[in-house]
Amino acid sequence: MKDYLFLIVSICLFSICSFAQEQQDNEEEDTSTFQEVLNNLTGSFESNAQWYLNDKKTGEFDDEDHVRANSYLRLNYYFLKNFSAGVQVESYVPKSLLNYDRLFDKEIDLAQYYVNYKTEKIDATAGYFYEQYGSGLVLRLWEDTALGLNNSIRGGNVVYRPFDFLEVKGLYGNQRRSLDVSDSDIMAANLEFDFNKALSITTFNELSVGLSYVNRSEQFKSTSEDINRISVPKRVGAYSARINLGYKNLYANAEYVYKEKDVRLNNIRPNSVTYSENKLFDGNALLLNLGYSRRGFGINYTFRRLENMSFFSQREDKNLINNPTQRATLNYIPSLTKQHDYTLANIYLYQSQPGLYLENYESPRVKAGEIGNQIDVFYNIPKGTVLGGKYGTKISANLAYWASLNVKVSDPDGIPFFSSDNLTYTSDFLNFKNKNYTDFNVEVKKKWSKNWSSIFTYINLFYNTDYLVEANGTSVNAWIGVAESTVKFGKGKSLRFEGQHLSTEDDAKNWVGGTVEYFFSSRFGLYFNDSYNYEDSPIVENSKIHFFNVGGSFTKGATRASLNYGRQRGGLICVGGVCRPVSKNSGVTLNLSTSF
Amino acid sequence: MKTFFFIFIFSFSLNIFSQDQILDTSLKTLDGETTNLKEVAKNNELIIVSLWATWCVPCKNELDAINDVYDDWKEETNVELIAVSVDDSRTVNRVKPLVNGKAWDYTILLDTNNDLKRALNTTTVPYTLILKNGEIVYRHTGYTPGSEDTLYEELKKHL
Repeated sequence: MKDYLFLIVSICLFSICSFAQEQQDNEEEDTSTFQEVLNNLTGSFESNAQWYLNDKKTGEFDDEDHVRANSYLRLNYYFLKNFSAGVQVESYVPKSLLNYDRLFDKEIDLAQYYVNYKTEKIDATAGYFYEQYGSGLVLRLWEDTALGLNNSIRGGNVVYRPFDFLEVKGLYGNQRRSLDVSDSDIMAANLEFDFNKALSITTFNELSVGLSYVNRSEQFKSTSEDINRISVPKRVGAYSARINLGYKNLYANAEYVYKEKDVRLNNIRPNSVTYSENKLFDGNALLLNLGYSRRGFGINYTFRRLENMSFFSQREDKNLINNPTQRATLNYIPSLTKQHDYTLANIYLYQSQPGLYLENYESPRVKAGEIGNQIDVFYNIPKGTVLGGKYGTKISANLAYWASLNVKVSDPDGIPFFSSDNLTYTSDFLNFKNKNYTDFNVEVKKKWSKNWSSIFTYINLFYNTDYLVEANGTSVNAWIGVAESTVKFGKGKSLRFEGQHLSTEDDAKNWVGGTVEYFFSSRFGLYFNDSYNYEDSPIVENSKIHFFNVGGSFTKGATRASLNYGRQRGGLICVGGVCRPVSKNSGVTLNLSTSF
Repeated sequence: MKTFFFIFIFSFSLNIFSQDQILDTSLKTLDGETTNLKEVAKNNELIIVSLWATWCVPCKNELDAINDVYDDWKEETNVELIAVSVDDSRTVNRVKPLVNGKAWDYTILLDTNNDLKRALNTTTVPYTLILKNGEIVYRHTGYTPGSEDTLYEELKKHL
């Protein structure tokens, strides 16, 4: 009953929100108190619902609860010039969507609340808050409802800017862990200093430094009976130092992170977490970025090396078999590769490899981190040249190369290899030889006439399945070609069609795919897309099944609704650089969102 | 919790604070300086704010499409477009070369941990606003080919 009540309330709120917006749009300023309250109230509502269907191709949906919805209602109220307060109510009715964190296990919950005080110099929050230090390598608190990830902290956060060249931040609290908070205390501080402003330097466009410290305090529960075990520290800290430079058309930034010693997970198994308590391991990260850009041309190079950099507010969450959605992560370690949009370009996707893990299935292996780099180039062939044509041609290219750290393992206890708690390792600082992933891609965007434009994409990739998925000795070499065109017919009417092909002799072999999308107006459109693994291959998981989607969307102002019916590919699905394994499923999806 | 609601309920007032505080949200320029929309928009009567990302194809299509007619728009309405990138640290380093590579003429700001995106209650990008004299008068989510014309029609209503 409660679920239905919530759904009804949600739908009512949804229509009130849209209505209120209309009112605001159409009416002149109304001075009634109610109107004033509405003026100071902002918020949003988002609901993603799915109806899972039985499907001959993907099998029966054998779980209970065929209809499920994740919904979020956010309300913020602004008062007394400098104050605001808000709540976030979340609902998972009757359960969270498939493949989301199983700890989202309440039908309705007041998930977050806050009060904020803000002036020019001070920004202080009590309650749940989001924050980021530097590039996020030591700390990033954010929300992504598409991933089902929210790792805000409940506590206090203060940002103080006494001068325009100095910013100091400090926070204390417990990190959100699904609908609860973790059993640890987080304390962190950050400082940003702008030399350019402090010393009125004019030579550089930018010259600033930053320092951060993040500390997690968590009681350690021993799982080892080994007499050699040492005491595991309760407090584990991480330090970051950064510099940002800009000179004429050049810019550069660098960040170094050191993470203090902590215990490592023992062999990873589902539903059990044990630690090797005889040795402690520290971690570090180095990030370098260099770029040059002027009008019509831009180039950017990034290098990153990570060693034992997984940092969770609860140690047990490091076991990603139990935590595929990476709940309660303190730092942000995205894969630094190009984020592709096309479905076939999202089959073999790299996920960054920051953690220290031991695998001891058939061939034992130590994973200690990653090293790699990528380069991006953007170029606009000017209008009026042979290749530029009447409108100019936009070209972008990206090359990414990522490898695992090269490690030497020593195990004083000898055989059986890797069974010992005394195992230790050393790693090379600069060794790129253990290739895990490469991606070379070029995109050309061409406008042929006022109403007709095309995009051509070529992708060539290598994917080390053996290291990234499971130790089976295989890898994938593939190339993908995509061509898409959009034709505009005026008054918001447009047609877009896209064809894709993935060619490989490896894994499940070739795929073909395509999309047709038609907009009747700028408000309403329909689309159909399909991906089909048409070639015979030894891997039958996704073979000879059409993974199609058909649906439509309606947009008005800041309100959007979309409905689609389709079949979801099984395997590793990645959104925004975070991947998780999903099972094949079919069904109807309804997404609603509005903001006011 | 109780006190919290107490404050919440008894703090109704007859002023509009919401927009002021939202537009005050800290953003960074491409040179790393801290600023906010109020600051950037203060010299212009009409402003379009577009929340976009380097990984979002409709966003780039929208900004490409507007860039082709931007000179005409500026001439006719004196509008200025501020493109706020919501790219996080995964892709934020692509913003500067991409903007230059595409030869966009917009003012670019960075919202790396999505503080403005949250303050505006935005769920998806692109998300477009029209500001008139520092007040939000229009909001729109999404982009479909040709819908820049609708945006321009809307803009002309606020001249």
